[in-house]
Amino acid sequence: MRYTTEELLAASIAHTIEDGEVGFTGLATGKAAANYITNIPIMAMELAKRTHAPNLTILLCGWSHNPDLSCLDHMPESEFENELLNLPCEAQMTDWPGPWSHRAGDISFAFGSGVQVDREGNINSTCIGDSEHPKVQLVGPIFLPEHLAVFGREYIMMPHHERRNFVDKVDYISGVGYPGGMEGRRKLGLTGGGPKYIYTPKCIFAFDEEGKFFVKSIHPGISKKEIIENTGFDVGNLDGVPTTPEPTEEELRIMREEIDPKGILLQR
Amino acid sequence: MPERKIKLCSLREAVDSIPDGARIGFGGFAVYQKPMAVVHEIIRARKRGLTLVGSVNSIEADMLIGAGCVSAIETSYVGLEKFGLAMNYRRQVQAGKLKVVHYPEMLAWDRFRADREGLEFWPVSCLGGSDIVNKNPDIKAFDNPMTGKTMYAVPSAHIDVAVIHAYAADVYGNVQLQPRHLLPQSMDVAISRSCRHIIVTVEKLISTEEIKKAPHLTAIPAFRTTHLAEVPSGSHPTPVLLVNRTDEDFFRKYVEMSATEESFQQFLDTYIYGTEDFGQYLNLVGRDHILSLQEQGGNV
Repeated sequence: MRYTTEELLAASIAHTIEDGEVGFTGLATGKAAANYITNIPIMAMELAKRTHAPNLTILLCGWSHNPDLSCLDHMPESEFENELLNLPCEAQMTDWPGPWSHRAGDISFAFGSGVQVDREGNINSTCIGDSEHPKVQLVGPIFLPEHLAVFGREYIMMPHHERRNFVDKVDYISGVGYPGGMEGRRKLGLTGGGPKYIYTPKCIFAFDEEGKFFVKSIHPGISKKEIIENTGFDVGNLDGVPTTPEPTEEELRIMREEIDPKGILLQR
Repeated sequence: MPERKIKLCSLREAVDSIPDGARIGFGGFAVYQKPMAVVHEIIRARKRGLTLVGSVNSIEADMLIGAGCVSAIETSYVGLEKFGLAMNYRRQVQAGKLKVVHYPEMLAWDRFRADREGLEFWPVSCLGGSDIVNKNPDIKAFDNPMTGKTMYAVPSAHIDVAVIHAYAADVYGNVQLQPRHLLPQSMDVAISRSCRHIIVTVEKLISTEEIKKAPHLTAIPAFRTTHLAEVPSGSHPTPVLLVNRTDEDFFRKYVEMSATEESFQQFLDTYIYGTEDFGQYLNLVGRDHILSLQEQGGNV
């Protein structure tokens, strides 16, 4: 292959980023989670910055503004220690409240993940089973309720595309998608745009202007059958669903030579 | 002249001031700068029925839960970040022994801001449709008096006691932050503003003269502090920004030993019940190893 799945996703995300936006990402650990929640998003934002969005603000861990990743030999794994403290950047959030106010609409977009997502775009990171008597207790809702409620849009990043991750109805609604469509969101008083895209190793799901689910594109080499078989809810008619556009030579050059010459973001 | 009150006391005296059933807020954030020496002493004192109130919790919560000290926790996260899951937390929730009330991360923090302002609740408009609100009867819907739109009143943190591990203090309880700080230290300040019973451990005691040379670093002034103890490396195995690094080896050992109830009992017997105080615990972990975690020889 000319490119990796991670590069395909990064380039695709970069195309959806507009100049002047503020993009937020956390620091995930573990290879698959780190790639989907942190590294692909950072690569996408750095690419957007170099192609069409020079005024993009990148928030690493939510607090380091426009960090200079060229100073790193490896991606940090700790949010609040010397390594990130001393990473050159333009501003640091040292207190809460700080430089941005998410409920007032300062965050344009962010990246989040969970163990379950459903056809309405609801996401769960809290528990499997009834939350009063959970079968499996997970880490908790963390910042997802706020991501999906008040950020301009959310990219749900799912490192594994399996039936158990894409369910009819999530067991616990940590973050709200589009129950009753976009109109439903308005009635709930949610001011942010909600989960606009779901990125997986196989395809991109998306929600339209009315908050309706559709399959935006399927990655090169992945069959429609694979999508249907590995998704736990009805994905609808896949006729006419396009193939995810491949990154251009120039995009690959920027990602590999300019952004990540040491290969610390995405392994090749 | 009458004498000024000295807040310095032993860890045991500090912990004796915490009643069973108290609502406690711990400073630090996630796996950073947690007041572990006090946590150990709470376990040794066999406190029961505590409610932990936080934003992002980790080993301090998991250890107390595993030792049977906690009956409820209100937070957005309990886990050990890159080291893995908080297994005592998971086991006890799944066994129905621990009540969890889920709050979103920054909103959980804002619950302390509500107390700081003397408010019963923090108002927010972004909870509609989530199980955060659907499953929590303590969050009340109300009509925004300006617009008529639905808002939610999220109860203030309402803690009885705040527990913090900080950089330095004088004997009167003027508590100084490191010259640079991040969110874990900001959380220390936030919870210190939210209640009137504040237990602080510090890396080092300094003179009031030194406090006066850098008053801009005094984040918690003396009148707020009720109990103070000097405990170098008192956040072990979590770090103190600019002072001590995370003890990654010990974190991994903790994860290993909390894998089952039996192995965690062994952890408690060895490291907590088997030692008389935090100093003995650090000896057991190894003084050379502890020294090797110091940043720049411990000078900030």
